[in-house]
Amino acid sequence: MTEHELLFGLRHGEESAFKELVTLFQDKVFNTALGLLQHHTEAEDIAQEVFIQVFRSIQNFKGDSLLSTWIYRITVTKSLDHLRSKKRKKRFGFLSMLIGENNLPVYEPEDFNHPGVLQENKEDAAILFKIIGQLPENQRTAFVLNKIEELSYREIAAILDITESAVDSLLQRAKQNLRKKINNSPP
Amino acid sequence: MKNKFTQHRIESIMESLGGMQPAVAPEFFYTRLKGKMQPADEKRTFLLLRPAFITGALSLFLMVNIFSLLSINKMPKQHFSLQNNKPATIESFAKAYNLNNPESVYE
Repeated sequence: MTEHELLFGLRHGEESAFKELVTLFQDKVFNTALGLLQHHTEAEDIAQEVFIQVFRSIQNFKGDSLLSTWIYRITVTKSLDHLRSKKRKKRFGFLSMLIGENNLPVYEPEDFNHPGVLQENKEDAAILFKIIGQLPENQRTAFVLNKIEELSYREIAAILDITESAVDSLLQRAKQNLRKKINNSPP
Repeated sequence: MKNKFTQHRIESIMESLGGMQPAVAPEFFYTRLKGKMQPADEKRTFLLLRPAFITGALSLFLMVNIFSLLSINKMPKQHFSLQNNKPATIESFAKAYNLNNPESVYE
């Protein structure tokens, strides 16, 4: 099925077209969400929400970008929104704890192990993912799209709606920050 | 403060994603997605089979039974001659049906 046929089917509510879309993009969406969220269950939830959003908004897709670009953009947006929401809840939970309303300890997740990392690199990759989680959103997104999803500068620029040189700048700063933070990691 | 990692180790960490394979979506992803997209009105038809409804109905049934049993136990004991561990006698039968009354409805 070509992209044009796929879009036609989606706009007419054909289930076969939707199933084809999910089959084509589920791994890409899940891998991107997993790289950003570093949590399997949350990544699956977000991936589902991405396809639900695509299903509901397909009439709004004007075709001025590739379908893949649009889907990646939704994935990044939903993943970052989820991270912000988690951060707010964590902050609120900490404040509640301070004023005595909530005596539950703040839950600290275990180290994240990406399933695709080579066995001999798992320990180092767990450290790296922890530091990736501390990067600013734009640097984290560019790094995940480039290193984990293996997208080109051109594709990342289209998704983030920035220039390719801006992508290069983001990646350079991300790498510098990562090295600095690894170096400053407490013993 | 002594650094935890040497320069070589830092580079090793930076390169740890090399050769990485992309993650694959979980099994039955599409099936679960379709389930999530199921309209709310389709789910409403199964209300009677929902655990909350069944539990509530059974609890109500149980309460009614307990109330009935308690009510039976509270009934006055003099109506039953067996409560006195005495077998039923002609006198108790006559007394129960007011047969000792000289005035009869048939007269």
